[in-house]
Amino acid sequence: MNSRERVLSLFKKEKIDRVPCFSGMGNITEAGINKLGYKFAGIHLDAKQMADTAATTYKLFGYECGVVPVDLCVEAEAMGCQINVYPHAEGILYPTIKEKLIHNEAEMDTIKLPANMGELGRVPLLREAIRLLKADIGNDVAVGSYVLGPFTLAGQIMELNDLLKLSFKKADKVGKLLDLMADAIIIVAKEYEKAGVDYITVREMGATSDVLSPRVFKNLIAPPLKKVISQLSVPSVLHVCGKTNDIVTTMMETGPTAISVEQKNDVQESRKKLGDDALIFGNFDAYNVLVSGSEELVRSTMRKCIDDGVNAVWPGCDIWPTVPAANMNAMLDEIKTYGGKK
Amino acid sequence: MADEARKKEIYDKLRNGVINYDEDACREGAQEALDAGLDANEAIFDGLVSGMEEVGRLFEAQEYFVPEILMCADALYAGLDILKPHCKQMDLGVRGSVVIGTVEGDVHDIGKNLVKMMFDVAGFHVYDLGRDVPLDKFVDEQLKTDSELVCLSAMMTTSMVGMPTVIEKIKAKNPDCMIMIGGAPTSKDLADKWGADGYAEDASNALKEAIKMVGFLKKLRDEKLNKK
Repeated sequence: MNSRERVLSLFKKEKIDRVPCFSGMGNITEAGINKLGYKFAGIHLDAKQMADTAATTYKLFGYECGVVPVDLCVEAEAMGCQINVYPHAEGILYPTIKEKLIHNEAEMDTIKLPANMGELGRVPLLREAIRLLKADIGNDVAVGSYVLGPFTLAGQIMELNDLLKLSFKKADKVGKLLDLMADAIIIVAKEYEKAGVDYITVREMGATSDVLSPRVFKNLIAPPLKKVISQLSVPSVLHVCGKTNDIVTTMMETGPTAISVEQKNDVQESRKKLGDDALIFGNFDAYNVLVSGSEELVRSTMRKCIDDGVNAVWPGCDIWPTVPAANMNAMLDEIKTYGGKK
Repeated sequence: MADEARKKEIYDKLRNGVINYDEDACREGAQEALDAGLDANEAIFDGLVSGMEEVGRLFEAQEYFVPEILMCADALYAGLDILKPHCKQMDLGVRGSVVIGTVEGDVHDIGKNLVKMMFDVAGFHVYDLGRDVPLDKFVDEQLKTDSELVCLSAMMTTSMVGMPTVIEKIKAKNPDCMIMIGGAPTSKDLADKWGADGYAEDASNALKEAIKMVGFLKKLRDEKLNKK
């Protein structure tokens, strides 16, 4: 069973030999970028560089997937936002949105999606990157992509401060905007599917229980998420950051193939709530364990994830590129040996 | 001068105005405090800040979430804007200025703004650099203003890794400067490792840390007053 078969079988809930070690979020490494002689700021703007870099995490470490894009700005950019890739930065800086699309409450009602959004911004570039990545490593590993969740996207195109207050004061208005965000996300996700992506992760990062109440999550965040997920043809993973134990049931009710949770989630508790059949991916700290932890901490954390009952060991966030090679190797080695025994 | 009952009534109005995110009540309460000749500093601490402390507790108990906190903050500012021009300079033995901002690569500023609010309340001079701030700007601003505190905020793992560079540079030039880091991906371990003096992992903790800090200042003030 190769990595691709293992991951795809997992999504079909078929029997597999061990838990896979993969991600639906960014996982490129500095080791990969340096080997290719690329610059971080450049890989967001060039399909070949993006695909080449995304393939290195498999090629160098045996990580069981290839994922593009690398940043979180594709949808907002296709909607008309300018992005900043920090071309002159010495270190690694992820692109951000320069200017919001909605500047006041009134504009929430008037905003429209561009007619040909699937051809705007970097959406065509992403299609090309997915094709290249598939051609390169698609026989060996599953190729994934990700989109933002409606609330997280809304937080990019208007002031998050205002969005949060209005989600309390004027939930109807925010609900309408989130529905439109869902349409935008579906357009982008459909393009990724056309390019042949094997699975899509929906990253609703901003709607964590650290920020919003489980009640608001259920009433306001879940309906547009459900809309997005119901439109996806490929297996889907819903990721929410931070505290999620009180919302895992609602997350699952939005209909994804699997849910992804981070280290603040108690997976044993989630398992009790969701049952043996549910696919739960997670849940290690992608920075404090994988990047700045010791090899032994990496190994013990992988064992804990498996013991807690995740169906795939997968990071709580993007893997930070400066991850030491020794830790990547320790992670893969531990999951291959320990994961098979379970 | 207002009697104790009237004073309590006004402070309760300010306190409850913050808790119930009622900007009008805070504005009215602040004006009533001034009209009754109450001490503006005291009205801020015993009214507005006392309300914010309760908000922090409600957040911890998961009765309130971030949207409520933001509305409470608006209410606090509604009162503060009226009271602040009437505040006496607090003699705390510190100059009381702080440089604050969200590091480059990060455009989230809610946590930063909540911490800033508490410094505003405490009468600090706040140099707010905003968000997506180039790292060297923190170093330059600290030197320029000789602030004794620098607060660095990041919401995303992908932006917090710039923090140790800033801390190192500031400490090299000014070892006495206190540095607080905050944001979802930060931790006590990272703060220790990077040589920061304090940390707050999320908005509520930032609020709590800042309240603690302000509480400490208030204690100093009370002790000073008692000595007089």
